[in-house]
Amino acid sequence: MSSSWRKEISALFVKEVQSELRGRSGLLNSLLFSLVTVVAVSLATFGHSISATFAAGMIWVALLFASSVALPRCFTLEEEQGTGDLLRLLARPHAVFWGKALYNLLLIFLVALVLGGLFLALVEIRGDRPVIPWLFLLSLLGAAGALAGAVTLCGALVAQAANRATLAGTISLPLLLPVLFLGVNGTRAGLGDGVLETGLTASIGLLCYGVASLAIGPYLFAAVWKH
Amino acid sequence: MLGAEGLGKRYGPRWLFRDLRFTLERGDSLIVAGENGSGKSTLLKLLAGLVSPSEGTISLPTGDARTSLGYSALDLNVYPHLTAIEHLLLASRLRGCEPQVQPLLERVSLTRAANQRIGEFSTGMRARLKLAIAIQAAPKALLLDEPSASLDQAGRELAEEIIKDQRERGACVIATNDKAEWRLGTHVLELA
Repeated sequence: MSSSWRKEISALFVKEVQSELRGRSGLLNSLLFSLVTVVAVSLATFGHSISATFAAGMIWVALLFASSVALPRCFTLEEEQGTGDLLRLLARPHAVFWGKALYNLLLIFLVALVLGGLFLALVEIRGDRPVIPWLFLLSLLGAAGALAGAVTLCGALVAQAANRATLAGTISLPLLLPVLFLGVNGTRAGLGDGVLETGLTASIGLLCYGVASLAIGPYLFAAVWKH
Repeated sequence: MLGAEGLGKRYGPRWLFRDLRFTLERGDSLIVAGENGSGKSTLLKLLAGLVSPSEGTISLPTGDARTSLGYSALDLNVYPHLTAIEHLLLASRLRGCEPQVQPLLERVSLTRAANQRIGEFSTGMRARLKLAIAIQAAPKALLLDEPSASLDQAGRELAEEIIKDQRERGACVIATNDKAEWRLGTHVLELA
């Protein structure tokens, strides 16, 4: 990657972080959503343990909703606040996509870490074997990569559509189904249920999915960015 | 340097304009006039590459359009959470040009508000910042949509200076409803 690309992508990444730190809309909403989910599950299961499989499902539901609250905003917000044209005048579409995807990756990884940590701390989880921290972390990292890739792509494709909310739901369904399937398997194995090898394969699959969507995304985005 | 050949734009069945032709060379300044809704802003957006033409072709200055074209318009928004300095730094890093932060801020009289967030700017201050971003890379063609709107007297004089400087460097297209601004042009294109 040439230095001009690196400069452009890092400039956009820094712009996203600055806007987030000052506007506090995406991260705060996602973290609050995660906290509320974990507290609700913790209160509902107080005095009881839940299976690792069920916990993995709950973590993924929370992660999915937390990410869908924040991630597509990074593109739709540009159109809503009218800054999309400024970006179109100044930046190349590939750099815009990667700058925003990097920011989304950071955001969703932070949310996944907080959500996973809260679940382990506040909810009693019962598995076939003890929690495997490295596999659990790997599944969260894979989740961040796959969700950042899928949701950034989805946000990028629908940003300029008039009925973007409906379109986002329609497009995200086929994009997120494989992520959910792999993610639940990976997290379940990390929490101590299911076959270890399956969990490892699923987590690596998530990472590959993330890489693939981040590699293909800019080309699709470039086709719709200026029209 | 900058031109159009058989240019037309249609929204649904309604043509905003058709068969526009012009060529601008260095030193030329085209005034685009017309009633509200006649397509002045759309024409500038077409030239800036923000809207696709329905027919015809546009010839742009050679080189990367991000540096060879400057564009400023009323409906072009800037980031409310960033400061003026951060905007100029962002624009320069994206375009690969010199930031020239201090000279540009002095030129548009925003030095004292340099570290203020744009959300706290008045409409006129935002217009000045957009002018600074538009001329940052010393573009060969400058597109200004209603450059004097929302500016005070000093701001209008600044816009005129910028247009005069631009004609020494390249070409300029100005969309305006203000007949007093026609004197800034070498050619006039009236859209019906």
